[in-house]
Amino acid sequence: MLDAFSRAVVSADSKNAAIGSGELAALRQYVAEGNKRLDAVNAITSNASCIVSDAVTGMICENTGLIQAGGNCYPNRRMAACLRDGEIVLRYISFALLAGDASVLDDRCLNGLKETYIALGVPLQSAARAVGIMKASSTAHINETNTSGTNPDETRFRKMETVKGDCSALVAEAASYFDRVASALA
Amino acid sequence: MKSVVTTVVTAADAAGRFPSQNDLEAVQGNIQRATARLEAAEKLATGMDKVVQEAGDACFKKYPYLKQQGEAGSTQTKVDKCYRDLGHYMRLINYCLVVGGTGPLDEWGIAGAREVYRTLNLPTAAYVEALTYTRDRACSPRDMSPQALNELKSYLDYAINSLS
Repeated sequence: MLDAFSRAVVSADSKNAAIGSGELAALRQYVAEGNKRLDAVNAITSNASCIVSDAVTGMICENTGLIQAGGNCYPNRRMAACLRDGEIVLRYISFALLAGDASVLDDRCLNGLKETYIALGVPLQSAARAVGIMKASSTAHINETNTSGTNPDETRFRKMETVKGDCSALVAEAASYFDRVASALA
Repeated sequence: MKSVVTTVVTAADAAGRFPSQNDLEAVQGNIQRATARLEAAEKLATGMDKVVQEAGDACFKKYPYLKQQGEAGSTQTKVDKCYRDLGHYMRLINYCLVVGGTGPLDEWGIAGAREVYRTLNLPTAAYVEALTYTRDRACSPRDMSPQALNELKSYLDYAINSLS
């Protein structure tokens, strides 16, 4: 597993060169934005169960066949497996966001995931849809652009108490990890 | 590759949990010290050729017998290889400064080095002298800030201790 720093080391080592100013600039950016990154990871982990359950709920609302007899989220045992998998994917994405590198997500989560789902008969399209909803809500939590949506009485709605700032780079990075999952399932 | 972030992520993954507040604080502590070590890495990379040259010269000055017939530096090819090896050590120290841990030195420099040097009949004392010279030669503020120098010297010491 690599992070942003060890990624620079491995690529410099393959060229047999020391790490100079060019590569260091990107790492200085990681350091300068470090607190923002930790807040972003915290925004995901603190809202993890909400993000996951909303995504699975949304996936089912769009395709109610999933919870009818014979559907892939029926009975409760399979619904529980679905929620668990959503949490696992989100967890590896939070690891990748913390490390600033996708290798942990690739090696420990996505490698063989599609093949496993095909073997188990899990519908890839539905899984990718749930990941898409997790992407929307996670990026909204990081950016604090989340709203209570169509239901004004939504009690679970919350905003993090962090200082507002420009998080576009981090949001784009987090979004790229979700896209990575979606394309691994495609 | 071992670094603070990967250690934290590996532990969290083994326990099957999201990164906790403790994990985030550990990464934050690492980030706070990062500016100094990135400065040291940059300065070392900039002066790399000169640092290697001076370190190698110091080593052959202290142990001139190395250039005698049958010794580790008896031909120019062998001498060049000594300088190349010192370059490797400096490069690995540059990597260590970047990741903020001894991972690169451990994995690529120290693991197996003792066995290799024994097999090839190379003296570790010569490497120790070269690295010690570099450590004592570096000074602040001429070369880098005091905190950066401290980071650099701690990795040089780590390499020295592994060889002595």
